[in-house]
Amino acid sequence: MVQTLDVISVNLWQILISLANLVILFVLLKKFLYKPVKNLLAQRQAEIDGQYKSAQEAQELADKSKAEWEKRLDGAQSEAEEIIQHATEKASTHGERIIDEARERADEIIRRAESDAELELKKAREQIKEEIVSVSTALTEKVLEREVGDADHRRLIDSFIEDLDDDGNE
Amino acid sequence: MDRNSRLFKAVDAMLIALMLVPILVAIVLKVLFTPVGEGISITGARIYFTIPMPLQDLPITEAQINSWLVMISIFALCLFLTHGLSVKKPLKRQLIIEWAVEKVQAMVNGSMGLTFAGFAPFIMTILALSAFSSLLSLFGLFPPTSDINIVGGWAILVFALITYYKFKCGPVEYLKSFAEPIALTPLNVISEIATPLSMAFRHYGNVLSGTVIAVLVTTGLQGLSSLVLGWIPVVGEFPLLQIGLPAILSIYFDVFSGCLQAYIFAMLTMMYVSGAFPAEKYEQRRRLKEQRKKEKKNSIKNKSSNENLEVN
Repeated sequence: MVQTLDVISVNLWQILISLANLVILFVLLKKFLYKPVKNLLAQRQAEIDGQYKSAQEAQELADKSKAEWEKRLDGAQSEAEEIIQHATEKASTHGERIIDEARERADEIIRRAESDAELELKKAREQIKEEIVSVSTALTEKVLEREVGDADHRRLIDSFIEDLDDDGNE
Repeated sequence: MDRNSRLFKAVDAMLIALMLVPILVAIVLKVLFTPVGEGISITGARIYFTIPMPLQDLPITEAQINSWLVMISIFALCLFLTHGLSVKKPLKRQLIIEWAVEKVQAMVNGSMGLTFAGFAPFIMTILALSAFSSLLSLFGLFPPTSDINIVGGWAILVFALITYYKFKCGPVEYLKSFAEPIALTPLNVISEIATPLSMAFRHYGNVLSGTVIAVLVTTGLQGLSSLVLGWIPVVGEFPLLQIGLPAILSIYFDVFSGCLQAYIFAMLTMMYVSGAFPAEKYEQRRRLKEQRKKEKKNSIKNKSSNENLEVN
């Protein structure tokens, strides 16, 4: 016949063994189950945190570079405008200068032409005068049948011609 | 470690074997020690042999052996579940164990507060040991939790924890709490002792009652079967009515009640231990003590300086 315990039978040693069993299993579970899993979870958390952080950093960097690029783009635009303005100004001043120069040159050419013309006129007038003198001298020689070589006569003729000139100018 | 390697699989197989072998051993032991044709009797655990010890002999019973076997199984299970942990590519079992750990941690944090966050593995141990011990009855084995000595050991450990934390909070307050209304001192002492007793008896009684009811119902059905179907020539010899109802009862008493009792035991442990140690009060007292120390130091300094002045 197999012995059995009563339904309720208290045994000090059994209680102690059971207590020790619980403590032993607690230590085992803590060491072999709880710690590894907790470490794992912590590790995963750390990894996730790290990834979040790096993502945020990347985002910040991207934002920063974007802002920088926008700023740079704006700068480039204003710079381009400035360059264009500058170029326009330069071109207009240059054009003005060219026009001025051209005008000056034209004026000079005109002046020179005028003076040339005046000179020519003077020359022509002198020539005509000479010719008139000589013609009139010849005529008078013919009319007077004698030589008009005296200085007095010459002066007379000159004054006459000058009179003529004055008449012509009037 | 490579998870597809043969070594990994071999270790897995070994761990699973380590989980199942204790249950097989328990069944074999039970079969070996159970006499054939024994009538229905409700008794305690079977005694395999007795070791003489001072004060009281130690009988090595079915409950003891089974609880050790359950411990081995749980340990193997935990090794199996934590085998091949990895941060990036979790195995399915890792998900299970992570879920369990986080759940228990959340439960402990929720009902005990962050001061007792370190209690999570202990609560987990209680849950596992209690639940798996009760579930042993699914294999037709003697559940260790239906032995008062086993559950009593756990309850005494919990009681020790409660008392430790009450003492830590303040030995004088602890002793004073017994004489709160002085007239009720004996009642206070009794209620203090009743805590572990009620915990032990609640757990033990629930599991045992499940076994008792299952045995009664099965026997009753056997009688009913022979009464109702006994006149049929061949069929009548089998207790056909035993099919069905005992299975449903088993689901309730073995699975549901077993897990529920484990949960209740864990819950009570958490409540009693956290109730024994009001962390805020403890902090307050600690700060007061430090302040007093500082004041003492300051007063000593002042005295010495005053003396110096007088000497000068």
